[in-house]
Amino acid sequence: MKEIYLRLRGVGMTFEGQIGGQDGLKSWLVRRFVKDPAVAAPQRYRVEALKNINLDIGHGERVGLLGLNGAGKSTLLKVMAGIYPPVAGHVERSGHVCPMFEFATGFEMNQSGWDNIRIRGLLLGMSPAEIESKLHEIAEFTELGEFLSYPVRTYSTGMFIRLAFAVSTSINPEILLLDEVMGAGDIRFAEKAKKRMFEFMEQGKILVFSSHNFDLLKTYCSRTILLEKGIVIADGPTSEVVEMYQKTTVPLVGG
Amino acid sequence: MPAMSQLLADSWQSLRVWRVWTFLGVQDVRTRFQRSLIGPLWIFLNMSLFVVGAGLLYGVMINQPMKILLPYLITGFTFWALIVSSLTESGWAFVNAEGYIKQFCYPKQIYIMRTLVSSTIIMLITLPAIIPVQLYFRSFSPIGWLLALPGLLLLLLAVLGHITLCAYLGVRFRDLPHAVGGVLQVAFFVTPVMFPAKLLQDRHLALIYEVNPLYYLLEVARHPILEGNLAAPQVYIFAILYIVLLWVFAALVARSLDSRVVILL
Repeated sequence: MKEIYLRLRGVGMTFEGQIGGQDGLKSWLVRRFVKDPAVAAPQRYRVEALKNINLDIGHGERVGLLGLNGAGKSTLLKVMAGIYPPVAGHVERSGHVCPMFEFATGFEMNQSGWDNIRIRGLLLGMSPAEIESKLHEIAEFTELGEFLSYPVRTYSTGMFIRLAFAVSTSINPEILLLDEVMGAGDIRFAEKAKKRMFEFMEQGKILVFSSHNFDLLKTYCSRTILLEKGIVIADGPTSEVVEMYQKTTVPLVGG
Repeated sequence: MPAMSQLLADSWQSLRVWRVWTFLGVQDVRTRFQRSLIGPLWIFLNMSLFVVGAGLLYGVMINQPMKILLPYLITGFTFWALIVSSLTESGWAFVNAEGYIKQFCYPKQIYIMRTLVSSTIIMLITLPAIIPVQLYFRSFSPIGWLLALPGLLLLLLAVLGHITLCAYLGVRFRDLPHAVGGVLQVAFFVTPVMFPAKLLQDRHLALIYEVNPLYYLLEVARHPILEGNLAAPQVYIFAILYIVLLWVFAALVARSLDSRVVILL
């Protein structure tokens, strides 16, 4: 059997850009030809989202990510998935990555629910035959019924989430990356989704997920990583890391 | 050059998941005509109206027999439309796929291929409109159509180069499709699409089309269909030269922007 792993070596991620204004063709041309520094250099921002991250996640590991908002949890997950190319260092991965980051975006608005299931399935790495065989089961789980024949632009946010959630959880994940996706849909669906999610998480050969729910982390992850301002400040058994997080951060927030 | 090898690896992986981008491309064409009664027939109808209208007027104005002018207009205009879409609409190839690029792991080149698929299908729907016209004027030549295949392939290679270039630049410069659209409108009047190249030649203005790479791209695909034989060798040479330069330029742009696309979106 294939060994599934995820290795990060000296990974750094920086976001740069221009503050305000349209960064279009015109302003680029202006900057090229006008030497006046006030015009030529608009205010820029630079955010170091991750700094020198070294991680080894091996076959069978379930890892939690903990940290305040903006600590770099989502960025780290997207770097692991290969969506963000790291500015420094490199990521090695073996195994099919299944990212579950957003449920409310990435739809073809004028196409039916059925076709959106197919597109999402393909983009998650399913083969057309696999999708067709699971189509019925996915449709049933969404409980969208005849709405599946309607173009998805008529859907509500909750319906988008149901559809995306049902497709994403129907694949066979090897490396499963989750970004706080627990609260899906209305109360009734949320219960059902939770159950399916837990079953799904059991299947992943590697699971990395970010959450603020300590109980969830303690149940699912033996290991937890604590991030602060883009740096790993703790990496160890979940109970210890959670305790440390509560001690250092929560009192400050709680005031 | 790690950036370049990454780009090549991504492109290779993109080609391997052809099922994904073919499906997306076909769906794009379908949705485009989904809510209309006659669907893709619209392309056909628009083209016929345009060609008959323009054909009659231009035929009188530049004194060309319909037998030559009508097939010339349809072929030229079909390929011209493909070139225009490859330089304008493709600027939105990545922008429109933002929701996908930010949450799925496939290399973003699949959205370039998706655009290629949909514009190629649209072109292929329009192309057969020439056949009845050619049959009517008894100028249909099956061998000519066969000889047009290498030219069509070159045209598609150029289109792929355009799409790649514009998709990347379109993320960095969101106003690019508008700017290019304006330039192409002017180009339309100086490129032999609505009038035969010979018209310029007779007036000693051959230079106008001789320096225009788009003319060569049109000609490699158009000439065999109309004349039943291959275009002049130098036409192929110039077309290939343009494609090589275009691809090199597109690869350089892609290399410098590739890692920034997801951040700029």
